[in-house]
Amino acid sequence: MMTAVLNKIVDALDFETFFICANEEEAKSMALQLVKELGFEHGSIVFLQQSGPGARVRVRIYAHNPGDQYGWMEKREGEH
Amino acid sequence: MAYKVLLAPLDPVHDIGLKMINKGLTERGITTHILPPDLPMEEIIRIALEQDFGTLLISRTLGYNVAELLARFIDLLDAAGIREKMRIGIGGMAISPELAAELGFDAGFGPGTTVEEAVAFVEGREYHPEDSLIKKEKKDITAGYSYIYKNEKIASLLEQISTQIIGWAADKTSPGVERAILREELWDYQAFLKGEKNERFIEKYIQHCEQLPREYYTSGILHPKTRELTEREREEYARYIASVKGRMKTPTLQHGRKFPVVWNQYGTGCPLMDITHIKASEAWGADGVVHFDPSWGARMEGFMEGDLTHAEDGTVITPQNLLRIKNSLEHETLWQVRAHRGLNTPETVVLAGKIGADMTKINICYGSLAAGTDPARLTVDGFHAMKYAVKYQMPFDVVTNEELAGVPAYKAFAGMLIVADLAVRLGAKPVLQPLFAYSPEVMISGQMRDNYVDFNAAKIMCLRGIVDAPIWAGAPIAFLTQTEDRVQSSVATSVHAMLAASLGIDAISIASSDEAYSGGAISVPSKIDTLRGVAETFRFLGQAGIQPTEDAAHWSAEITRGIEQVLTEVAAKGDFVQALFDGLLGSRDDGVYPGRAGKSSVRSID
Repeated sequence: MMTAVLNKIVDALDFETFFICANEEEAKSMALQLVKELGFEHGSIVFLQQSGPGARVRVRIYAHNPGDQYGWMEKREGEH
Repeated sequence: MAYKVLLAPLDPVHDIGLKMINKGLTERGITTHILPPDLPMEEIIRIALEQDFGTLLISRTLGYNVAELLARFIDLLDAAGIREKMRIGIGGMAISPELAAELGFDAGFGPGTTVEEAVAFVEGREYHPEDSLIKKEKKDITAGYSYIYKNEKIASLLEQISTQIIGWAADKTSPGVERAILREELWDYQAFLKGEKNERFIEKYIQHCEQLPREYYTSGILHPKTRELTEREREEYARYIASVKGRMKTPTLQHGRKFPVVWNQYGTGCPLMDITHIKASEAWGADGVVHFDPSWGARMEGFMEGDLTHAEDGTVITPQNLLRIKNSLEHETLWQVRAHRGLNTPETVVLAGKIGADMTKINICYGSLAAGTDPARLTVDGFHAMKYAVKYQMPFDVVTNEELAGVPAYKAFAGMLIVADLAVRLGAKPVLQPLFAYSPEVMISGQMRDNYVDFNAAKIMCLRGIVDAPIWAGAPIAFLTQTEDRVQSSVATSVHAMLAASLGIDAISIASSDEAYSGGAISVPSKIDTLRGVAETFRFLGQAGIQPTEDAAHWSAEITRGIEQVLTEVAAKGDFVQALFDGLLGSRDDGVYPGRAGKSSVRSID
């Protein structure tokens, strides 16, 4: 899934949230499920910390890796 | 022209913004009259009509019902005929320029408005934010240092050791030195800029290269982890960088201080991605950027050429890659090309010097004990690299990251001082680079059990007590205190930066908030995280300071005694290279091993 906007992301799309859950495993599973539900094939957990009511989690999806063809470098019609 | 301004808070309590603008106006010699908060609108209008004001500035902080309230105020101004007589501006937390325009005000100042912006409105001129910015300039972190010793015992020991190294290295050479001579004498930079082939250089150069670079020049075979940028990528890049450079602004991070200079490293593997990282770093205030090359590049005899992108961390050193990166930099950005650890040390210095780097990095001890190069080879190559650094007027830092392998600070510092002393004798300007982080030594011995301040401060106090030389804390600061939590990671880096500023250190290397994340490439936002954090701690500290406890002085004296002991042993051995092999500057028990790359490649000059 590489839309025009995702193409403008220089490298990574991070999203951060707080899941209500009982343990880290549950949080990890939910985070990776969310990646799929948002339409991405791969995502990795950068940070996850469970405490009390749930888990603070940050997930990363790379739009461009070093050495890729970078969408943000391409000129589109009407762009300056 | 005289301006007379009425300032009125349309708010029950808040008027601090208006007071600041009032101060700015009066400092410019403008006559003002500021009203207290919570006056009825009718009262404000009555006062406005009493005198001959040219401008009315209104403020509103509370957002509740703001549009209705301001609309009513405008109606009252219209009814009183004030709008025809004076210009009316409104500002405050609840105001946006769009809302102000919609309601018919002459100007709207939202959150973040500067006093200068409001003054420009009063004076009826256009506001140019760049006029109020301090022009950023390249800083020389070695300026003003004498390299005079304050510790005579250490000075005497270093003189003995340096004299021995110079006597040993001066009549020796290596394939790395030979390539550097060719790069210096036969590689014409102007011809390279014109895209001319240099067959004579290549023919001689490949005789001193190992198989992989040789195959590149003879058969066009690339390193398996690299590829050439395509024509399309190069064209797209040219358009992209021209567009980015046209909108660059480079803020300063240091709040009223000149130092520390803030460096960060790039080395994604791809020069185009690196440049994107660099432009973001510059735009968020980095003063300098450091070229990070692949570890295999340091263990390979010889460089390749071309616009090469690499599939893993570290951007390949080629003349084309370095030139592209150099050309992307803003003129005020410092650029360092590291040459500290491998078989291409002197040639890296020549190449970096010809292409225009501001600094390089050389350390014989770190490179041979913790980065895999044979001590004899790196002593010869380091010696010649320093002479080229002198020629190209490039100061270099002497990094002590062997501490991260487990070498205690006093041994790493002894090695750093040997290299720095040798450098000064050769005419160079070395910069001491103590580790400003959580090292294995302190994890075991507990000097940072209570705080991260004292032992880092002790290192700086120790070095300042020995020699008058510039200090660059590294590398990166706060290393091993950062976690994958980006808030924690950014704060850890930022408070170490604040400590460095408090200690008056000349430069720091900062990591991104991705420092502890190993799951993928470092992201641009993670670089901005720490630059923002550092800016905020510099703002917080200003000219104030952090006071270490008595432990700092105690540990400083302890490190100094350790350095004296190590230097005594090295001087007594009378053979610096053997001292490295024997572990005097870091042993197997400490966690370092003399390297093997380039072993038996040193020979005497015929």
